[in-house]
Amino acid sequence: MTARIAFVSIVMMLLLALQANAGGKGELQEYFSDAANKVKATNNPSEKREILNKSFQTMSKALDMVQSSPLISKDDGVGVDRLKATLQEKQDELAGSNGYVRVPDEQLNAFSDYVVQDMEQADQIITISLVTLLLIIILIVLIVK
Amino acid sequence: MRDLHSRSVRGAPYSMLFANLRCAALTVLLSSCSADLPVQREAQQAEEGVLAAPYSIVCVIHGDGDYLYHDTRGNEYKADEEALAGAKRVAMRNSRAEVFIFHQKPRKHFLFFFPLQDGEFYYYRNGRLIANELYWRDQGQSHFDPEVGLYRRFRSDDQREMVNLFLYCGHQIPEFGGAGYDASYPGRAFTVHDLARGLDGFTRHSARFDLMVLSTCFGSTPYTIGALGSFVRYIIASPDNLHLSYFDLHALERLDLSLRDGDVQAFAKKFARLAFDRLTKDIQTAVSVAVYDVDRVQGFLQSVRDVYDHTLTALQVETPAIATIERCDCADLPAYVLPTMNEGVDVFYRPARFGRSKHKQKHSGWECWRERGLQAATLQTAKPSPK
Repeated sequence: MTARIAFVSIVMMLLLALQANAGGKGELQEYFSDAANKVKATNNPSEKREILNKSFQTMSKALDMVQSSPLISKDDGVGVDRLKATLQEKQDELAGSNGYVRVPDEQLNAFSDYVVQDMEQADQIITISLVTLLLIIILIVLIVK
Repeated sequence: MRDLHSRSVRGAPYSMLFANLRCAALTVLLSSCSADLPVQREAQQAEEGVLAAPYSIVCVIHGDGDYLYHDTRGNEYKADEEALAGAKRVAMRNSRAEVFIFHQKPRKHFLFFFPLQDGEFYYYRNGRLIANELYWRDQGQSHFDPEVGLYRRFRSDDQREMVNLFLYCGHQIPEFGGAGYDASYPGRAFTVHDLARGLDGFTRHSARFDLMVLSTCFGSTPYTIGALGSFVRYIIASPDNLHLSYFDLHALERLDLSLRDGDVQAFAKKFARLAFDRLTKDIQTAVSVAVYDVDRVQGFLQSVRDVYDHTLTALQVETPAIATIERCDCADLPAYVLPTMNEGVDVFYRPARFGRSKHKQKHSGWECWRERGLQAATLQTAKPSPK
């Protein structure tokens, strides 16, 4: 019985490790990439704006929840703060607020690519720990559902 | 007694299973320790002297960063694997070059306990793969001792008239600190200083590299160019973020045609131009590629060394929250705006299509640090063409 428990434990740990490997930053990048694909799939500018807005809002909500969690470290808190600020800038530019000129309808596809690329190279994501990133992803999934 | 017997009978399959697992683990462990992979181990000596290779390329690909990117169709790529494929293509298409490729991979274990080798080395000569070995990356201070050892073991004895190129593909190399550069070795640090020490090892018994391609984000700080410049004549680097993760390496294919005249400076500019064109095709964020003539930028570097070192020291000592500092064009800081600033630097720059900096039309080619929020009120407004 002990051997069986040990064997099952090893398999479980392996699966968890694989899950953790597949998650994190890549999943966060995929979230924005999926949003960009949806933006490009529709011709209606209002729908494009709504898809982008919703993706920003969902992410912001998840970041707020993570930030209030006692599980995250001070360093992660700083990284989350910066990520929120970056997202806010994108929301402002999309809407044309806070000194930004509203993104023209014909540039929304390009803007969605910009969001993906900017988030991929955002150094604040690099500084956030894997545990916090996974927490953000789980919250996004829960909020979307 | 029966209980004991039945326990031992029930336990037999598990014992066999664990015995098999131990055997498998041992096999993997032993094979991971072996020096050579079963590939073409050609008679290297036979080829040497028959066809001299006038070009030598050392390519270090840091693949322990978990860096993914997506193209505009949403396809996902692993940056290091793309770079490795590009480097192999360069190696195979150069019929008169020796190419050393070091792929630094994440630490992995077989069955949680048995470490697997975390480096893979490829040696091509005149377009053919001569050796392919797994190796252990250095866990100590040097970072590049194993790579330097392999380089010395395989490199051509005849280094006369050879054009030497060095490529580093990875993510942004920190100027200080550097813990966590390797995702799978979070406690291990890697900085610009460590890369410079590695270059020192590669060039110990030969001349400086003719050209270095530093394929990372934010590779153009005065400190970075100064530290690496001791071992290189020309450097290609990106002052800003470098999307697609790495520069396009196509320009390195067929060096016998593109570098036939031996004009490294002209080749460096051509490489930078092609990399810039490739990046601007699909990228909406800022694109910047710069070429540094190391000897000619010394005047500027010496002029700003004290002020830049002071900034780095302050950042190290005060360890400000990352939220309070940001990178910027050195031209936005008065202390760096000197007559020598543009000397020896060729910059290809296009601003981001969106965001606060979309009106910034020019980049000095030098990247600095500043406090967040101190963004220059007036952004430069020159034409967005390369300098």
